[in-house]
Formats: sequence, C-alpha cells, structure tokens
Amino acid sequence: MKLKIEPKELWNRFLVLMRSREGIVCLITAIGLSLITLTAAEPLAMFLSILATFSSFFIVTLSLNLETGETGIPQFGRVLAVLTGAFAVGAIPGRIMAWALGLPCGLDYGDDRVNYKVVPRINAVLEANPALSIGFFIFSLLIAALAGAAIGWLTSRPAIRLREAYLGISLLAFGDVFMWIGQNWEPLVGGTTGVFIPDPFRFTGGYRHIVMVSVMVGIAFLLFVFVEMLSRSPFGRTLKMLRDCELAANVYGRDIVKVRTRSLVLGSSIAAVGGGLYVIYVGSCKAATFNRVYWTFWPWAYMMLGGIGSHVGVFFGVMIFTMIRAFIVVKRHALMGVVPFDPIWLDTLLGGIVLILIVLFMPYGLIPEKPKTTLPHDKVEAMLKAVKQRVRGT
Amino acid sequence: MIPPVLASGLAYAGAIALMACGITIIYMCTRTFNFAHATMATWGFYITYTCLMLYGGSPYQYFPLSFLFGALLGAICYFGVNRPLLKRKASEITLMMSTMGYDMALLATIQIFCDFLTYRLGLYPRMVTMSAYDVEVAGVSASTLVSVILAVSILTILHFFLTKTKFGIAMRATIENPVLASAIGIDSEKVYLTAWLLGGGLASLGGALASMVITGTPVMGNIIIVTMFAGSILGGLYSIYGSLLGGFVVGLAEYVGTYLLSLALGGWVLGYRMVVPLVIMAVTLLFVPRGLAGLPWEKLFRKIRAYVGGRLKGVGT
Repeated sequence: MKLKIEPKELWNRFLVLMRSREGIVCLITAIGLSLITLTAAEPLAMFLSILATFSSFFIVTLSLNLETGETGIPQFGRVLAVLTGAFAVGAIPGRIMAWALGLPCGLDYGDDRVNYKVVPRINAVLEANPALSIGFFIFSLLIAALAGAAIGWLTSRPAIRLREAYLGISLLAFGDVFMWIGQNWEPLVGGTTGVFIPDPFRFTGGYRHIVMVSVMVGIAFLLFVFVEMLSRSPFGRTLKMLRDCELAANVYGRDIVKVRTRSLVLGSSIAAVGGGLYVIYVGSCKAATFNRVYWTFWPWAYMMLGGIGSHVGVFFGVMIFTMIRAFIVVKRHALMGVVPFDPIWLDTLLGGIVLILIVLFMPYGLIPEKPKTTLPHDKVEAMLKAVKQRVRGT
Repeated sequence: MIPPVLASGLAYAGAIALMACGITIIYMCTRTFNFAHATMATWGFYITYTCLMLYGGSPYQYFPLSFLFGALLGAICYFGVNRPLLKRKASEITLMMSTMGYDMALLATIQIFCDFLTYRLGLYPRMVTMSAYDVEVAGVSASTLVSVILAVSILTILHFFLTKTKFGIAMRATIENPVLASAIGIDSEKVYLTAWLLGGGLASLGGALASMVITGTPVMGNIIIVTMFAGSILGGLYSIYGSLLGGFVVGLAEYVGTYLLSLALGGWVLGYRMVVPLVIMAVTLLFVPRGLAGLPWEKLFRKIRAYVGGRLKGVGT
C-alpha cells in the first residue's frame, strides 16, 4: 500500500489528534518530560533513569492490566510475581555461573561475606566475553519468565475458585508471605542484606547505562505490542467476555477456569520479566525492596490513572506518575526547607489521593478503554467500501 | 503464673480479634474490604504514643482517644470515599481499590506525622517499644488483662447492641437485605456510617493494644494486616462473633504456636511467623469456606452433651 498524504491533510490529522484526549495527554506528558529532563543537573542521566524506572513499572502494570483490566481478576498480589522474577534472577543464573567457574555456588552463595567476592569474579568473566554476557542476560530473563509462570499457576490453583474479595485478599497474602520468606531465608537471595546480580552489560564499557536502558525500553515495547495483539486476538476477546459477563462466557462454551488460569500464568510471567529486568538494572536483589506498596499499590495507581483495560492509557499513566515521582526525588533537598517533613512522603500521599480522585470522578482513567478492532483500521474501511459498492450494485 | 509468652500471646490475640472484628463489621455492612485497616491501626498506636510522651501517665488511659480517632478516620473514609461509590453501586473490586488509595494516603500522613514528632518534638517515633510503659497487675502484665477484658466486653456490648437495641436490629436487617430494610424505612446510610465508625475505632484500638506487645513502627499495621485478614476469614467474614473468635485463634496460633514450634525445631522458625496466618487462611478457604461461623455449633454441642451425659450415666451405675 502506498502512503499518499498531503502536508495539509497531515496537519489536519494532527489538529484532530491534538483536540482528542490522547493528544492532550500526550502533549502534557511530552512537555513535563522535557521540563524535568532539561532542568536536571545531568539531563541525559535523568532521562535514562526515568526511562529505566518507567520500563520496569510499565511491564509490571501491563501485566496487571492484562489480569485485572481485561480478565477481571482482582490482582492485589502483583508483587508476588514481580519478586518471584527478581528472586529467580538473583538466585539462579549467578549460581550457575559460579558453579561453572568453580566458585561457591551452594547455599553459601546467598551469604553476603561470600557473595561480594563471588560476583565480581563472575563480572570479570562476563566483561571479557560479550557473547556469554548476552546469553546470560537472555537466560536470566527466561528463568524469570518461567518462574513467574510457575508461581502464577500455583496461585491460580486455590485462587480460581474464590469470589472477588476472597480472591483479592488471598493474592495479597501470598505476596506478603513470599516477601517474608525471601527476607528470612538467607540462602535464597541473601535475606536482609541481599545479593549482587552479575552485570551482563559490563562489556559495553562507558555506554553501559545507555545500552541497558535501551534494551529495557525495547523489551517493554515488545511486550506492549504483544499484549496489544493478544487483546485483539480471539483469546483476548474471550478474556473480556469473561470480565463483562461470566454467564455469557459459560453459555458460549468457554472454560472459565482454564481461561482465568491462562491469564494469571501469562500475566505473572510478564510481571516476573519486569522484576528481573529491574534487579539487573539496579545490580542487586534485596527482598525488602519488593513490598506491597511499591509493587502492588503503585501499579494499581498507574493503571487507574491511565485507564483500566486500556494499554495505551497504562503507558501514559506510568509515564506521568514516574515523572512526578522522579521530580519529587530530585527536588527533595530544595523542598526540604519549604515543608517541615521529608518531601519523599509527598509521593505516597499523591499516589493515594490521585487513586481516590480517579475512582471517584474519572473511573475510566485518562484514556478510557475503547472497543478493539480485530483488523487494521484501513482494512475495515476497505471492507466497508466493498460492502457499500456491492449494495449499490444490486 | 502464666508463662510470659502465653501472656503476650493473649494480648496480641486480643488485639488481632478487635481488628478482625472491625474488618468484618465494615465488610458485612458495606461490602467493602478495608485495606486501610492497616494504617488505621498504626494511627491508633501513634495517638497513644504521642499522648503518652506529651502528657505522661499510663498508655491505657489514652486508648479511648485512639478509639475516637480511629472512628474519625473511618468517618472520613465513609464520607469522602465510600459513600459516593456505594451510591453508584460500585463493584466489590472498586470498593477495595478505593480503600487502597486511602491506605496509601494515610501511610503518608503517618510518615509525615513521625517526621513532625522527630523534628519538632525531638522524639524517636520510628522504633518504639511500648511494653516498657506497661505495668504488672497481680503478676500478669496489664496488656494481657486489658486485651482479654476488652475483647470480652466488646463482644458483650456488640451482642447487646445487635440483639437488644432498635438500631442494632435495624443494622442486622440492613445486612440481611438492604432493599427490604430501606423499604420499611431504615436509613441505610446511618447503618453504613455506624459500621465505619465502629470498624475504624476497633482498628485503632486494636493497633494501640497490639503495640504493647510488638514493636511500633510506621508500617506496623501493614505487617500485621495479613493476620487480621486471616482472623476475619477464619471467622467466616459474615459473623461478628466469628471474627472475634477467629482473630483470637489466629493471633494465638501465630504468636504462641510459632514459639512452641521454635522450641521443637530451633530459633529459625520465628522468622516465618507470617506463614501461620497464610496457612490458616488457605486451609479455611479451601476446606471451610464459611469459616468458624459456618460450623454446625449447635449439633456439636448437642453431641458433646450427649457424649458427656452418656459417660456420666455410665459412672453413676
């Protein structure tokens, strides 16, 4: 197909977009992002760190949207899958490398006195060998995804039979308890001291930050496309049917338990990749990082702000909140004199208030969910034209 | 006379029972599963702590104040968040989520309040051992006595409130069938407000009580909320008596059970305390989904009576 758009036509389309909700939200986001980046002391580093936080939370919130927004499961235990991915990346690939190099790889790998000696030696090997590094990175993510899928399946077993409130509480309790286990069982990921993660991007030298963040953004984008395509597929439409009317789904012969299980497994697997990416980026894995407020409540706030069920909405929800939170962190010292408390709490306060306001006054979020067309827009147009012609012909 | 672990275990269990009762009252009346219970409990602790630091005395004399403050937090949640959503007939998930937002906001206010205490009043509010201010009565720490007395008296008060007063009966009618209740002229909004007042108050009272046996931190409530949920679910989620009993059982199992296990298996067990409420919750949901309240108690009593009676007869002849 040839693209034939006049400049004027393009301008008109742009104006229409700008008058729509998406356009305004997009414009505000762009202005905010550029303001925050340009006023920072180091614009590039600021931009990259915003993007890195954005990508990991975007992946996690996408998975939440898949389970809650599309399937209607009250996933109040998002942190469970995220920390499973993080623990898997913290515990397994490093041990395999240590084993291959003949370093301590058993239960004592989690001991901080051993760990801080082992990981730099693995890093040295990875740095000298780019192919191995890339393989290590991909393997880590695969392990995370597999572990996430496993935990998703495990939680789905008792959870699938429960009703709304019960299901939400059980999922929340699962997440909390798993964090406690990670914090207490030192061999897993070092307990309260945590473990270091071997760095697979060391071979890029001074470009490490840029390369790492680009890879994260790339993975986030690929997962976004995947989830978007999924929600247009027959499976995605089944999910929405389940959410909107379970009875109808039953009548049309859909196996509710199976569909819900699949959604939980897929969502958990995606969230685990998000958690794994986050710990690789940070360079260490500590159980206490993965608490309920950070990885369950905040993704909910992101999703509600963007628009429940709308993946594009989730993109903007995560972006806007990430920007504001980064802004608060950067301006922390300047704000310290203005308010008589640590300004970092403003961000939790803001999250809670925005969540309440959105639920009360804008329940569909900034960019509400739209009915999905299963075919591309121009194909639908062409089909309509053909039908019209045929009607005229008769 | 009572081993110290059992004494603190009883105090903890009583606190959990009060908080679980609050969750159940709010859920029964408004279909809202209150996540903000965690921070409401923490606020109860901070009210007691601050008053104790400022005015001295015994922590117990500030418990009524904690209850009132919790009731105020509950009322704010009802008028600000819950009422508009109930009017809109929002789904259970939406109701839960809105309390999640309230929880986040309250958590932030607690942290801000702690900063205020630290910078302005020169206190150290982020790691508090309230048991240092406890007293001993007849060889038992007062927290144990207060906890048991509070749990029993609240059970009694609620029982009389729900069965003997006109408003209590109206409340039960609304729980049973809201449409029919409003058809005969019961103001359901009053019922909802009462539920939030009672629930919030019990949460704060429970938090103040719990801080007498566990370390008080700004995230204290967030740590024990799984235990509260487990107590409420073990109680059946639709029975006030059940929730008090369930909370008591879960709290005792968590505190004393883990200690007994640690005697048998070694000290490492103590770190996994939080697994106990989860296991209780999972077992309840899988095998007794209606909780303790769903058990055929009358049948059980009759059987026991018949059994005991039979044995007694055997003894007599």
